[in-house]
Amino acid sequence: MVLNKKAFKLPRVEKDKFVLLMHLGCDYNRDQGVFSIKSYNNIEKLMETISGILDNEVIFLQSCIRCGKDFACGDCKYDELCTTKNLPFGCVCPQCLRDRKHFEQYIEKF
Amino acid sequence: MQRNDLLWVEKYRPKKIEDIIGNEEAKASFVEWLKTKRKSKKAVLLYGPPGVGKTALVNAAAREFSFTIIEMNASDTRSEKAINAVAKPATSYVALDNFSTNQTKGKGNLLFLDEVDGIAGNEDRGGVSAIIKIVEEALTPVIMAANDPDVEKLRPLKKVCLLIRFQQIRIPLVIALLQKICLLEHVKAEFEALERIAQNSRGDVRSAINDLQSLSEENHSLTLQDTAMLSSRNKDISMDDTLRGFFSSKSIAEVSSLLSYSSVDYDDFLLSVSDNLPRRYTNPAELAAAYDFVSQADVFRGRIGTEYWHLLKYFFNNLSQAAAVNPQSYKPFEFISPPIRIITLFWTKGKRTMLDGICGKIGAKCHVSHSKAKHDFVPFVKMLLQKTKNSFLIAWFEFSPEEVDFLVKMNRF
Repeated sequence: MVLNKKAFKLPRVEKDKFVLLMHLGCDYNRDQGVFSIKSYNNIEKLMETISGILDNEVIFLQSCIRCGKDFACGDCKYDELCTTKNLPFGCVCPQCLRDRKHFEQYIEKF
Repeated sequence: MQRNDLLWVEKYRPKKIEDIIGNEEAKASFVEWLKTKRKSKKAVLLYGPPGVGKTALVNAAAREFSFTIIEMNASDTRSEKAINAVAKPATSYVALDNFSTNQTKGKGNLLFLDEVDGIAGNEDRGGVSAIIKIVEEALTPVIMAANDPDVEKLRPLKKVCLLIRFQQIRIPLVIALLQKICLLEHVKAEFEALERIAQNSRGDVRSAINDLQSLSEENHSLTLQDTAMLSSRNKDISMDDTLRGFFSSKSIAEVSSLLSYSSVDYDDFLLSVSDNLPRRYTNPAELAAAYDFVSQADVFRGRIGTEYWHLLKYFFNNLSQAAAVNPQSYKPFEFISPPIRIITLFWTKGKRTMLDGICGKIGAKCHVSHSKAKHDFVPFVKMLLQKTKNSFLIAWFEFSPEEVDFLVKMNRF
């Protein structure tokens, strides 16, 4: 299941699970009924907990810092060496990395 | 030092927070804490693997928000006394220019304790509790950095800190940074070569930049073939390989890079370099120049001792210069000999073991130390045995025939 780190919905959870989610770095917006990620210190455990709640493997889409496009870690050829695979952190999509045409514009991001 | 002579990790050290690649969430949390949230937690602990930008972020943030950094790192003694002497005054006063109307006013001090997980041993006794006390009383931001936050002694410290985790930098981001440096340094690099360096760095930006400089600085070009030696990064480089790499290096940066990856014993390495230099330089003037650098490296090794590791860069630098006196004159030589001291110890190991056994037996019977037996008893026992081989001493000391033979024939001890 693919989630967006800024807002994702979960089925109603027990109090202890809710407390655990908050403890692991989730935030909850009561008005909209959506969760978001506030702290990334325990992100692996948080993903495991969410996967347990949804009873499904969870992945976060990656956002390209160059073009803003969302892409999955499955598209990246370095995923085997990546210690943050499927976690919601900024990255560069494969197209932008090889795109020489916009190279100068691209490195100005840094 | 000219800007061209700088190591690229220094030259391209991030000046602004936005220059630091990766860890966007950690950077945002840190900046938010520095700007507004210091009331809830007075200190912050940045933790994560090396080379991901923890120290760079603190330096860049201090520059951007006009703080003066007071830093204590692993090379300083961080005992209770030392911390109270340095850190307490630094965190106890708000800067006077806070009250000025000047637009470019400073915000006072920022205490930065780098590598706090390295606080250990007798020299740093009381360090952690002193830091906690300072955090509780601090009027200025206190920032700490560590590679491993799970060290037992940091547990009380973690309770008073906001924890911010840094992750390894993703490979595409490292490649992008290397591309930028190549552009600025006019290096024509193959994408696959940069890819290889980035993959090999395993998210350590510092080592990736060092690799890029050592491989491309001389020719201003980089091909995939040039990166062949990088495969040794995650292995221990043996003494022999380190020496071969050392003597065949073409630049100071290449030697520095090699030495920083190798895990050889520095004392043994220094001896090996010293013993093998005449094979490397046949020209007496070059040999003399190289020995001068080795001699200076030896001086720094002595100053480093077991504590002042911040001087290691000078040790590396002098050794690197010894290797690069005349890179063009390098001709491969087949045999790189291990240091003579080590060979001598190897050859005499059997004799030393035998003498140790004899001294142990004498010590047990005469109730003297090993050393006293060696220096005060062995010469007389030897003389007595030389006169009468069937002396009652043999039975009393329970010497074996080999030990008797050894004692009688030994020349010196």
